Amino acid sequence: MTPRKVMELVDVWKIYDMGEVKVEALRGISFEVYEGEYVFVVGPSGSGKSTLLHILGCLDRPTKGKVFIEGEDVSKMSDRKLAKVRNRKVGFVFQTYNLLPRLNALENVELPMIYAGVPARERRKKAKELLELVGLGDRLYHRPNQLSGGQQQRVGIARALANDPSFILADEPTGNLDTKSGEEVMAIFKKLHEMGKTLIVVTHNPELLKDGTRIVKLRDGVIEDMEIRGVVYGNT
Amino acid sequence: MEILKEVFRSLYANKLRTFLSMLGIVIGVAAVIMVMSLGAGMKKGVTERLTSLGSNVIMVSPGFVGGRGGTVAQAVETLKESDVKAILDMCPSVSKAVGLLSGSYLVQYKNSNTRISVYAAPNEIFQILNLKVSRGRTFSEDDKSKNVLIIGREAAYNLFKNEDPLGKRVYIVQGSRKIPFEVIGIFERTGSILMFNPDRMILIPYETGKYRVFQSRGGISMIIAMTSSPELSPNAVMEIDHLLYTKFHGQESYYNVVSQQAILNVVTESVNIINLVLVAIAAVSLVVGGIGIMNIMLVSVVERTREIGIKMALGASRARILVEFLVESITITFVAGAIGVLLGVLGSETAVNTFGKTYGLVAVIEPTSVLIAFGVSACIGLFFGFYPAYRASRLSPIEALRYE
Repeated sequence: MTPRKVMELVDVWKIYDMGEVKVEALRGISFEVYEGEYVFVVGPSGSGKSTLLHILGCLDRPTKGKVFIEGEDVSKMSDRKLAKVRNRKVGFVFQTYNLLPRLNALENVELPMIYAGVPARERRKKAKELLELVGLGDRLYHRPNQLSGGQQQRVGIARALANDPSFILADEPTGNLDTKSGEEVMAIFKKLHEMGKTLIVVTHNPELLKDGTRIVKLRDGVIEDMEIRGVVYGNT
Repeated sequence: MEILKEVFRSLYANKLRTFLSMLGIVIGVAAVIMVMSLGAGMKKGVTERLTSLGSNVIMVSPGFVGGRGGTVAQAVETLKESDVKAILDMCPSVSKAVGLLSGSYLVQYKNSNTRISVYAAPNEIFQILNLKVSRGRTFSEDDKSKNVLIIGREAAYNLFKNEDPLGKRVYIVQGSRKIPFEVIGIFERTGSILMFNPDRMILIPYETGKYRVFQSRGGISMIIAMTSSPELSPNAVMEIDHLLYTKFHGQESYYNVVSQQAILNVVTESVNIINLVLVAIAAVSLVVGGIGIMNIMLVSVVERTREIGIKMALGASRARILVEFLVESITITFVAGAIGVLLGVLGSETAVNTFGKTYGLVAVIEPTSVLIAFGVSACIGLFFGFYPAYRASRLSPIEALRYE
């Protein structure tokens, strides 16, 4: 069985026009991600990691080239459609968790489902299940400021899973965490990978890479090296 | 539904700020409601007073002549008793007409001297002007040329202070003569009705006035006419005008014909204008309140930039962000509008209870003005909330996420 292609970048360029100088942040990036893969995008700062993250997350469009998510070209999509793609296809996990402070854990996880128009009852049930999955079944009604950093990040992961996205896109998910919490978060990622979820993690931390199936190394806006470790796992 | 929940949560999170930004609208709406209800009350009061005089009453008064090249304009005695008869004969729309004599005289009671307007009129005046006597009696046939008078409340108070005027003897001072009169009645308090204020005047029988006080040789101060129905009033004005125009050979400045209806229209119009100006002034505070809302919403957008970024990253469309902020500002102004209406209603009731007795103030709260207040405050939320909401929705998700 051929694994399904979840995402594909074809010669993606991002050029920032800063008036007199043009900054080429990405210079012809091409790679693909199959369902069930655990991808790491690594590179030093200034390598174009953040720009790539924005494009992968449909927060930005490439200047040139094509981005396919589940076969659909999102590189020329309107803002409105992009918002929908972000909502349904992308599960963001942020370095700084980015939970809404006024909402409790459950409501934070429900938020993407609200945007997707999921009925309240179903939403609540799903959110509960997801929080249980990340080990926060006993923290449903805590507000972010009542949770530790590691717990907040786990709420963030549950939120990313809410609409069963095509892939989880994590930006330095352990960047703000102590070693122990960081390991816990990476353990959850590993578990998700084993469950067959597709994960893309952008990081500059080489210690995280051990479980990855594909390591994309960026430097100066180009892919310097790509390491593919064995076949794709998961339920395909 | 979700949006409303979210909005209430964020408003509740900033209780003090929400309250303060509401305050402007609350005050504005309350002011508008108060001005509108008191204004409508004033209009009602004035209109009632004018119509109580009878909207079928027409006044003919002498015009002013002169006033050119240094001479002061003065009222001319152009009207005569014969004109009353002519009007009754020649103007089919006129059902009743009387001639009046009037002047301001010093009136004496014991040591007290007061200047009071004295009117001499035939008995029909009671019917035409709907005059009533609260104590004592009106003129009977026997009184026709007797020295009797009916006095208004205020005039009576000025002259008699706390003494009971009924049956007292007073003197109307005419040059060097003092003409004795007996007080036989007191007018019901009515308040001022244009040039007549029964509260401040003295009425004496026509004959008495003509021969003893005014010493007229057939000239009269004014004619009061009446039509059988208000609809005939414009016709009657035209007929009288035509008659007098012919009589005075086109000298229009020799006379004035004014119907109560026309005066009513003019007064209503002026009251409307006054109300409009007052409402406009009150509305300024609404605009100020709206700017306050806009200011707060702009601050709120900046403050929640990161939140907006997160929501966008999670899939909230620009339209959704726009609606969230709009609903927030409309909610603020709508709730503020409701509180404002309540305060406005209470305020005008209080004003009426406090000053109503003294100034004859009434409040008329029309459902339309309440609706308008609600509508306007919601519109203010929409209008002043739009720009901040639009700004929020146009944020770049990347920039917004990066915002600290």
